[in-house]
Amino acid sequence: MPLNYDLKGKEYNEVSFTVDRDHVIRFCEAIGEDNPVFRDPAAAKAAGYDEQIAPPTFITALQIQTSGQVVMDQELGLNYSMVVHGEQEYEYTRPLKVGETLRAMPRIADVYSRGPNEFLITEADVRDESGNIVCVARSTILSRGTAAQ
Amino acid sequence: MAATVKFEDVEVGQEVISASKVVKREDVKAYADASGDQNPLHQDDNFARSVGFPGIIAHGMFSMAHLTKSITDWLGDPGALKRIKVQFRAPVFMDETLVAKGTVKSVDPETKTVTLSVSAEVDRAGETQWAIKNSEAIVELA
Repeated sequence: MPLNYDLKGKEYNEVSFTVDRDHVIRFCEAIGEDNPVFRDPAAAKAAGYDEQIAPPTFITALQIQTSGQVVMDQELGLNYSMVVHGEQEYEYTRPLKVGETLRAMPRIADVYSRGPNEFLITEADVRDESGNIVCVARSTILSRGTAAQ
Repeated sequence: MAATVKFEDVEVGQEVISASKVVKREDVKAYADASGDQNPLHQDDNFARSVGFPGIIAHGMFSMAHLTKSITDWLGDPGALKRIKVQFRAPVFMDETLVAKGTVKSVDPETKTVTLSVSAEVDRAGETQWAIKNSEAIVELA
């Protein structure tokens, strides 16, 4: 069954996410990241940062929460078993810092079909406590063979 | 807080990144827990087989994390990575060797910004399978 194209532009609930020190370390261990700026505040300071920072793709942990709302939206009609992650893009203003609380409101940037497949583009501006954008996350989800014929 | 790689040391066409990693089941499990992506396709062999794979596959984002780490290792400063956009293609199975690569695609002397063509591949029975292809990263060099 095709997706609901009327949902283009729909915004979802804002997600609040604190960059937790232990969480960052567990993420580093999972991806084999051993750069001390991600593990040790003193090393981060020596490298010129005011706090321990998180690896660039740590933002994925926030994005799983934001995009979760979109893919589970009953109105959208996404069949999760037909879905693959097609593309992922991150645009960074600066690295994420341990201890800061970020906010992100996901939205459906686009939904369209091409041939038998459908494409869902979700976007979220990730903002810090001052309201400045730290990162923009954009993902393309591909729904296989669900377009109207 | 600046890249350790100097702008004048790179040129278009140069391969600047090649980093391999063996994809282990325990790392993929740890990644599921740390990222929060608990899709059974990455944890449950029976489920993965039911949708046509020989066993669990790594998260696309797991491959992207390895590629991104390879880029920031080269840069020397994670803050020098400004943008990364990847396209996921082939699945990656357990115990395969994932090789992240990066080649200089274009350079901008005004901003000392460099666009890299990036990819991640595995060799499967003598054939290259692209986990990540047609992808780019924008970095700021010193």
